[in-house]
Amino acid sequence: MNALELNKVHIKRGDIPIVHGVDIVAKPGEISVLLGANGAGKTTILEGTSGVIPIASGDIVLEGAQMCKASAGHRARSGIAHVEQGRTIFAEMSTEDNLRVGLHPESGLEQAYDLFPELKTRANVKSAMLSGGEQQMLVIARALLGKPKVVLIDEMSAGLAPVVVARLMQAVRLLADQGLAVLLVEQFANLALDIGDRAYVLRRGEVVYDGSCEILRNDPAMLHHLYLGDMEKDSA
Amino acid sequence: MNRASLRAAFFAALSILVAGGLVVGLLPNYWVYLITAVFILGIALQSLGIVTGRTGMISLCQMSFAGVGAWTVGYLNFIDFPGGLPLWLLLGGLAALPFGIIIGLPALRLRGINLAIVTLGFASAFDVVLATITYPGQTNFKMVARPAGMEGDVGYFMFVIMIYALIAVVLEFLNRSRLGASWLAVRHSERAAAAHGVSIPTTKLSAFAISAFIAGVAGGLFAGYLGTLVAENFSMMQSLTLFAVATMAGSQFTLGAIIGGVLVSLFPELLRRLNVPQDFGSVIFAAGAVQALSTGESISETFMRLGGKIVPKGLFKRAKAKTHKLPAAKTFAKDVPALQVQDVTVRYGNVVASNKVNLTVPHGKVVGLIGPNGAGKSTLVDAITGFLPDYEGDIRLGDKSLNGVSVTERARLGVRRTWQTTRIAPELQVGEYMRLAAGSDLSDDEVEAVLDWFNCPPANTPIASIDAGTRRLLDVAGIVAARPPVILLDEPAAGQSYAEAVRLGERIRQIPETFGSSVLLIEHDMDLVRSACEEVTVLDFGTVIAHGAPANVLETPIVQKAYLGVDHELEASA
Amino acid sequence: MNSLLTPAMAGLSAGGAYAILGVCAIFTYRLVAVVNFTGAAVGACGAFIMVALVEMGMPLFPAVVLGIAAGALAALFVGFITTIWFSGANGSVKAAVTAALLVGFIALGLRLTGGQHPKRFPDILQGAWLRLADVQITNASIAAIGLAIVLTIAAEQFLNRTRTGLELRALSERPMAAELLGIRVRLLALIVWAIAGAVTAFALMLIAPLRSPDFASLSLLIVPALAAALIGAFKSFRAALFGGLAIGIIEGLASGLVGLNQYRAAIPFIVILLVLLWSQREARWDESR
Repeated sequence: MNALELNKVHIKRGDIPIVHGVDIVAKPGEISVLLGANGAGKTTILEGTSGVIPIASGDIVLEGAQMCKASAGHRARSGIAHVEQGRTIFAEMSTEDNLRVGLHPESGLEQAYDLFPELKTRANVKSAMLSGGEQQMLVIARALLGKPKVVLIDEMSAGLAPVVVARLMQAVRLLADQGLAVLLVEQFANLALDIGDRAYVLRRGEVVYDGSCEILRNDPAMLHHLYLGDMEKDSA
Repeated sequence: MNRASLRAAFFAALSILVAGGLVVGLLPNYWVYLITAVFILGIALQSLGIVTGRTGMISLCQMSFAGVGAWTVGYLNFIDFPGGLPLWLLLGGLAALPFGIIIGLPALRLRGINLAIVTLGFASAFDVVLATITYPGQTNFKMVARPAGMEGDVGYFMFVIMIYALIAVVLEFLNRSRLGASWLAVRHSERAAAAHGVSIPTTKLSAFAISAFIAGVAGGLFAGYLGTLVAENFSMMQSLTLFAVATMAGSQFTLGAIIGGVLVSLFPELLRRLNVPQDFGSVIFAAGAVQALSTGESISETFMRLGGKIVPKGLFKRAKAKTHKLPAAKTFAKDVPALQVQDVTVRYGNVVASNKVNLTVPHGKVVGLIGPNGAGKSTLVDAITGFLPDYEGDIRLGDKSLNGVSVTERARLGVRRTWQTTRIAPELQVGEYMRLAAGSDLSDDEVEAVLDWFNCPPANTPIASIDAGTRRLLDVAGIVAARPPVILLDEPAAGQSYAEAVRLGERIRQIPETFGSSVLLIEHDMDLVRSACEEVTVLDFGTVIAHGAPANVLETPIVQKAYLGVDHELEASA
Repeated sequence: MNSLLTPAMAGLSAGGAYAILGVCAIFTYRLVAVVNFTGAAVGACGAFIMVALVEMGMPLFPAVVLGIAAGALAALFVGFITTIWFSGANGSVKAAVTAALLVGFIALGLRLTGGQHPKRFPDILQGAWLRLADVQITNASIAAIGLAIVLTIAAEQFLNRTRTGLELRALSERPMAAELLGIRVRLLALIVWAIAGAVTAFALMLIAPLRSPDFASLSLLIVPALAAALIGAFKSFRAALFGGLAIGIIEGLASGLVGLNQYRAAIPFIVILLVLLWSQREARWDESR
């Protein structure tokens, strides 16, 4: 069964239509990767899914339950966790206080520290003083402590060194292996394809590729074309 | 002074005078007396409309400004100052003006909420001072002398209505001027207004000064209306009520000011006749104001919207018969690059958002600036336009360094930008926005020509009626019509369809030749970049990683890596 | 010496009240991002309901409790409007909403409490706490200052030590991130409103007997309260505490000087003007503009 299903979802920003009827699924134990150039609508899809912005039409189904009318808070409590881009830490709080916000009664802080032992050594440090990579670990771990069914992760690699990104990718793979459904938005396609199971490539708000990560991984020319390709040549 | 303003002003004056004539001709004296108050309050409400309705700063002390005017008129009457009420009114308004400026000062660089606090403070302080010094003539009952021949209720009504018409006409002109457009622009986005070369302090202070002056005149008229005044006429509660009514009725419009005047002066009369306690009116005003704030539409705006439905469609079509001529291209020095960015570094705390960036926009060219999210493109635009003044390095416009130059001044020198999200005040018309963006020296015909060139709707279209994609085009059209030496376009194609984006790219490519400006284009849409740019610069991690012709640059491995991610070898070696 | 000390001491109780209201103003601004112009008016509702209950023959203690509850309810009314109808609106619109509501509160309050004629407030705390020669410090002023200090510390501790406080801090720093973590945003916001209303109601019961206790005057205590909050930059509870006390003492001193006495109520305005002029010296372009 799919953990999360988006059916024919249309989303507008203001009155500009950004996403035009996409179908996307995320399954327990799998990573669905959402790729595409800047402005293709990846972030908009995640925001529509978690309730940051409303969707214009379509369905959002979480384990059989219709979610598109629910508030962002209700969706979060139902099991959709959203790690927004830009590392939305509570900068004035310590690392540990950050983790405690939204802590599910059945979760414990150890869960976060097991995943990212780096955070334990910096538990009492003001989170603004953490490095970019540690902040990213913090927001991923924080989302995990709410006992979600599906995690949406947006651009976790932005501005981070390759070693750190590799470490984060590994952690996300581990989360999926433990049974979580993951929907990963990534600008850097190669990295995401390495850990992902299913891939979607977006262009101008439409899904132009839906298939396995492996095919794309083994065909760089196709990927390059989907990303930076020339539409005029396409139509010609 | 354009024709639209003249027509609107004439219409306003005529309708007010006709309404006045009807009141005098048809109603008994008692009602004429009551309706006089409607128009005096209407003037006070219009004064509030400038600050709160147009400029978006909450003022809770408008009746205190009126009180200053009334006190001045009372004093001049008390000492038998020559000139009579018309001159005293003028002096009363002038006396209130400096108070307006002092109250406005704390809001110059801070957000509007602070202004609400300082105005409420002023209203309460004024209450106290007035209770102590009392009104001139209050103790010996010396009534304020009305103008000769207008001593009676009908005569004074005519006097008030003439002043009202005069102020309404002047405001009609002001609102349609560049200053009026600046007020709305500041309300909507101070950053965007400054990027048009609008001085934020001047705009805010002018709104406050003019508003205080008009409120002072209204106060003076009250003095003549009531003869003697007491402090309660101008108490803080009166100011608060006026604020609620102005919000409810939409007092930035002449219609709204009259509706508001009716509400304040006639509604209690109605309640009295219905045997309902009169202070119940204030509760209704409070509820009405909350309702207007939540729907974003005041009573007068509702009327105008409903009225607008009667207006036949097709009114906003451009006259096809005339051929419009684009304004002539401007010429700038050709021997120096239009814009040079030299070793510019920007830090946010410990994060380096832009690292020793070098970038040149040669004269007469369109240069693209691309790069993945978070590469530092917007940071660079903010540094060039002056929103991030603390950069290291040098930014030069032609042969002049811009270091230390303010946002407004940079815009006036000719560094102009568009925005990723539309920041155009929706209350304006397309043509008014064009004049705000491009200055007043364009003819109506040239404005239409530029709009047509960019496929924008004609000048008399209300901005509220056009979609966000078209507003972004209009943003570009306004800057281009100004023909500055340098234009920075920040993702102009977002939200446009493929066909529109290609057409826009074509137009952008023609800007240097047609208008004389050089362009720096920040864009994600590679199709647009290909069709518009002769050169592209690629940023990643705040550093320039490639530069050259678009076709070549997009093929280089380092650019592909920046867009597609770390390649496998690098990852393995890390 | 005493000619200065006596009025300064008299100003202390007012200062305590300003501090309490200022701390409440910061509390609401920091946690639900509203500059609440009805801050004192909701407290006045509670205080007058207490008086009405006492006049009807209810013993003082239950009347005070019910009055505090009424203050919380009045604040919840404002809170409901701002959180349900204006959740997406910016700070300026929310401030405008509370300013408009203030008109309704005062009109209704004056109608129900018999206009501007001051009510007789029961002294919850009678007598002098300390008397030295001519200088006397009343129990009420000690209570006002004490409550202000306790409230300042309690506000800080509540935010720093409790789970709800933690969630509130998260909410005030990044409302969307907090909501995405499943925090019950509306419920928490309403709790904040209720607490502020309850505290203000109790504070006004204490100091009403010391002022001209009509509904409008009590509602307009919001002006010195906002002045105190501005001194704390709408952030620091302690700075607002000292700011409120300082305004009270300066007012007290001014009342002792012939010629300045009548103008002392203008002091909060001067403080507001000066603080704002001072604080905008470093204002920069920020995203919200």
